[in-house]
Amino acid sequence: MLAPSRWMIRCALLYLLIGFTIGAIMLISKAYPTYSQVWMLLPVHIEMLIFGFIIQFTMGTAYWILPRFLEGPPRGNIGYSKWMVGTLNAGILINALSYLNIFPQWGTTVGRSLEIIAVILFIHLHWRRAVSYQR
Amino acid sequence: MPRIARTFIKTGLVYFLCALLIALGYEFDTFRFPGMMPLFWHLLMVGWITQIIFGVSMWMFPGRTREEGFVAQKWAWSTYILLNIGLVLRVIAEPMISHSQLMIWDILIIVSALTQVAAAVTYTIELWPRIQSKEQRRKNRKKKRNKG
Repeated sequence: MLAPSRWMIRCALLYLLIGFTIGAIMLISKAYPTYSQVWMLLPVHIEMLIFGFIIQFTMGTAYWILPRFLEGPPRGNIGYSKWMVGTLNAGILINALSYLNIFPQWGTTVGRSLEIIAVILFIHLHWRRAVSYQR
Repeated sequence: MPRIARTFIKTGLVYFLCALLIALGYEFDTFRFPGMMPLFWHLLMVGWITQIIFGVSMWMFPGRTREEGFVAQKWAWSTYILLNIGLVLRVIAEPMISHSQLMIWDILIIVSALTQVAAAVTYTIELWPRIQSKEQRRKNRKKKRNKG
């Protein structure tokens, strides 16, 4: 397994732990509504589990498992893959901090833009890897 | 495919169907009950998507034990048991909590929340050491051989 896949899958596991913990706190608050301010964390819970865990995990696994190129770098430009990991995680963190009002509201525009850059890089890296080498 | 992966995937398929049945029920006033939408989303995202990710990764990631059984695969089976206990308890208790003042539903909600977090922890314990480069895997294999 290559470094970008390892980073993405490890980050995904960390987001899984944080996202499930936030979810558990919110679920418990259904039984004890006195702590209802924890519902502020709902968008963070969704961001961390959808983008941080599910999407990041599948992207990291796809980078590792899809057919490699027969010539040149086996998984394409390694620099692009590092940018893909960086922009995706920066986007998730900026969005989460914006939802928590630590960053200004327009932070989510920056966060989503970074996630879009990550997805464009992902498509660029994988488009020609979705291939069959069988005759 | 190991039994744990098959069990995760088949259970996930059942949740997938249940989630869509709940979504269909939501369309009819007579079948609506409190907390239906959160249940739908959690059956879909935890019961189906997360469960299939867990099952496939335990099967496909390098370094899995070939030995079957709870003892040999304790973290994987613990993940399965904890996640599903948590989800089933949520399905039972969440609609009841707005209907009934009984303490039991509060307790079940707390148990559900804690078991699902515990499942995330056991899954991480299972998978984290298996995220390795080829070189790390070679070194680990050498170590095992030398021990043997």
